[in-house]
Amino acid sequence: MTSFIVRRLLWGLLLLILVIAVTFLIFYLLPSVDPAVLRAGRNGSPKVIAEIRKDLGLNHSIVVQFFNYVKEIVLHGNFGYSYYYNDPVGGLIANRLPATLSLTVGAAFLWVVVGIPVGIVSAIKRRTVIDRVSMGTALVFVSAPVFWLGLIALYLFANDIGHFHVFPGSGSYVGLTVNPLKWFESLLLPWMVLSATSTAIYARLVRGSLLQVMGEDYIRTARAKGLPERTVVLKHGMRSAITPLVTVLGLDIASLLGGAILTEGVFDIPGIGRLNIDAIGHGDVTIVQGTVLVASIFIIIANIIVDIAYAFLDPRVRYE
Amino acid sequence: MTTAMRRRAIVALAALFAVAAALFAFASSQSATPANGAGLKPAQSGSGENLTNGKKGGTLTVYDSEDFEHLDPGESYFALDYEIMYATQMPLFEYLPNNTTVAAPMLASGPAIVSNGGKTVTIHIKANVKFSPPVNRDVTSADVAYAIERGANPHVANPYFGPYFGDIVGASKATGGPIAGITTPNSTTIVFNLTQPTADLLIGALSLPISAPVPESYAAPLDAKSPTQYGTSSEVFTGPYMLESDATGKFLGLGYQPGKSATLVRNPNWNPSTDPAPAYLDRININIGGAAQVIGLQVLKGSDSVQNDTPTNANVQLAYTKYYKQLYAVPGAGDHYISLNNAKGPFANVNLRRAAYAVMNRAAMVKLAGGTIVGTVATHFITPGSAGYSQSGGAAGPNYPWNKYPDGNLAVAEKYMKAAGYPSGKYTGSAVIKVVSANNGNSPEQAAVVKDGLTELGFNVKLVLVDQSVLYAKYCGVPAAEVDACPSVGWIRDFADPETILYVPFWGPAITKTNNSNWGQVNDPQINAAMDKAALVVGASARAAAWAKIDVMLVQKAVAIPWIFDDQANIESANVRGINDLWDVGEWDYTYTSLTNP
Repeated sequence: MTSFIVRRLLWGLLLLILVIAVTFLIFYLLPSVDPAVLRAGRNGSPKVIAEIRKDLGLNHSIVVQFFNYVKEIVLHGNFGYSYYYNDPVGGLIANRLPATLSLTVGAAFLWVVVGIPVGIVSAIKRRTVIDRVSMGTALVFVSAPVFWLGLIALYLFANDIGHFHVFPGSGSYVGLTVNPLKWFESLLLPWMVLSATSTAIYARLVRGSLLQVMGEDYIRTARAKGLPERTVVLKHGMRSAITPLVTVLGLDIASLLGGAILTEGVFDIPGIGRLNIDAIGHGDVTIVQGTVLVASIFIIIANIIVDIAYAFLDPRVRYE
Repeated sequence: MTTAMRRRAIVALAALFAVAAALFAFASSQSATPANGAGLKPAQSGSGENLTNGKKGGTLTVYDSEDFEHLDPGESYFALDYEIMYATQMPLFEYLPNNTTVAAPMLASGPAIVSNGGKTVTIHIKANVKFSPPVNRDVTSADVAYAIERGANPHVANPYFGPYFGDIVGASKATGGPIAGITTPNSTTIVFNLTQPTADLLIGALSLPISAPVPESYAAPLDAKSPTQYGTSSEVFTGPYMLESDATGKFLGLGYQPGKSATLVRNPNWNPSTDPAPAYLDRININIGGAAQVIGLQVLKGSDSVQNDTPTNANVQLAYTKYYKQLYAVPGAGDHYISLNNAKGPFANVNLRRAAYAVMNRAAMVKLAGGTIVGTVATHFITPGSAGYSQSGGAAGPNYPWNKYPDGNLAVAEKYMKAAGYPSGKYTGSAVIKVVSANNGNSPEQAAVVKDGLTELGFNVKLVLVDQSVLYAKYCGVPAAEVDACPSVGWIRDFADPETILYVPFWGPAITKTNNSNWGQVNDPQINAAMDKAALVVGASARAAAWAKIDVMLVQKAVAIPWIFDDQANIESANVRGINDLWDVGEWDYTYTSLTNP
């Protein structure tokens, strides 16, 4: 197992270097705003733009710029400098990470604790009214875009613009360390909206997976041994049914840590997603590079964790 | 699938659609019926606003989708930035919110004194104006000199230093150090010596944030960094408000969190006797980054708040129908026009430009922008409320056949096609017209109107839709890109002098290889000569007349097709007594805005 973990970590590192190279090349080669022009602002003279280009090191060859970029990341943890905000990218990302982390972890918790039980009940009560209603509702949420759902939720339940003043509205987010209670309240609606689609997907996934597993021979054997149905489903059935979910869950969480762009936008949560979308609008490529890199790091780490978790969850998997 | 299963599936689908339809209907009910058709009365204008008798106290919440660009008076050049600038700094001169023509002395103790045939400007500054902590000392004329000199520092890179301060002796070679043409004979006097008699333009430019004093001892170490950290992390202030800062003057993370918030509090060193602004509010909390659809509703339905940036069309329409008293449409917020490539391609021919001008349905483009609430059909380039506007034709504009028909007139257009050498009235050449437009908002539809108009004249049009962020950087602002037309370029005046509207976008020698703001590459010797001459005209009315003639000349040569005189829509909560800066683009003036129930 140890050698497997080391191997996975080394592959992860290689992948990360490739991601750095690809993102750097993409943002260097694709049409975008010249950072020096952005820095010079409207009416910036060619002379000023040239001097800024020199100051920012943009006059070097692409190879030198890439080398400097990687060197700064590896040696100093420096992701570059935002030309729009006049601020180091690393600091901006670190500043936004807690909000994204709060949003993601809460939503993931919600979709796991709601989605999985709904899927189980739906599978056990197959073709009953409960199954129809829960899967029908799931279909609605799967089909509803997060942006639209977020706006509807605000129009209905926000305490400022909503018809029923239930939850704090857009822009109410406060940090966990500032006021834990307000933090919790402000995230309730975003958590529900962000988790709605995933809850629905997970419920459908669990239902399908469990239905398949419950037809297996070893389940019939378990029942024949006289085990209670609860044990058969939760211990024997779910153990196998949940395995594919682990892969999806790891990647879903990692993707969201790269920024839940739409949810953060609708609810005015200052997270990485909103930082990224603002940067795209401003042509601030260093921030986009930085956020893509951070998202990649999360996905690579999640992949490694998922691979390791697989080995523990499924005894049939042999890595050594 | 059995019949029963099919029936259940159909029932389930029907239920699903019913739920979706109900939700959609609910969402739709949130936005009012569009009210932007022609013939409707415009929303109430901010003109005539009462600056006095506000109630003191309270906290204003400002919602802002966009972030600020620069909070340094030497760098800021964006309407949103100006809201902070003019609330926190004292430039030498400043327009009162309801005055669009004459800047009042602010840090200056009186009007500028012009001598030496318009080549020397002397300004005395007020006593007892203090910098905020930690500087805590009286402002001197040397602080004003440093503020302007640092504009030439590449680390600051003030965007308008060249056009407006370039005539100061020694300014053309300045890089941030002392400029020979700026002297301070004593602590309350500053003198500008110019190479040409362009005093009027300089005095106008001294109403821009760059003339707000900056203490060299505090700012120089920050200016030494590239880019400057003054106004990025730390700053000192002279206006009634300041960004909430720590004892060292650092505001980053306190009074300003990029992409999140900005907080203005009272400046403890501000002396009300030196400033006409009443500064009613105690505090201004600016919330940055909300979704535009949501923040507009928060403002209209909530209290104590305004929206800083332009509301969405849906929210403007909602305000128009349900919250009329909370909506302002401030005139004079610039103009937009279709740039035509005067240098290369078919539109280098003046008659083809006139034909394009004549056929264009400018009224349709205005409707697509939001209708009469957000502007009127433009007929020339100097905007309403600016000096020279009425002299160059007012609302009707210069009297040329191609300028008479807001809905477009094919017969007139064909007449000029024939004059250009196309006897059928249709273009028969092989050139493909490259029209480049942004791919967001209403831009694609507006570009489609342009394409339709040109197609009617027989042109083969290639419409290229690109991201807004690259529209200027890669296409419309780059002559080598050989773009034939950009449907929605625009300009906002910097201050009350028509030169600030016409000079940069239409003066030939200003054309640059990149970051070019003369989008149509207009380089007409007659226009250039007239501009050079008008730049040296002394006296406001004489300057207005001179630039109005140039405005007429631009229409006569059809260098571009103006299509909208913009109005700026602004919305406020019911208990806000918002005051708009009419001299700029109608943005909120925090130093005059108040709450009715603080």
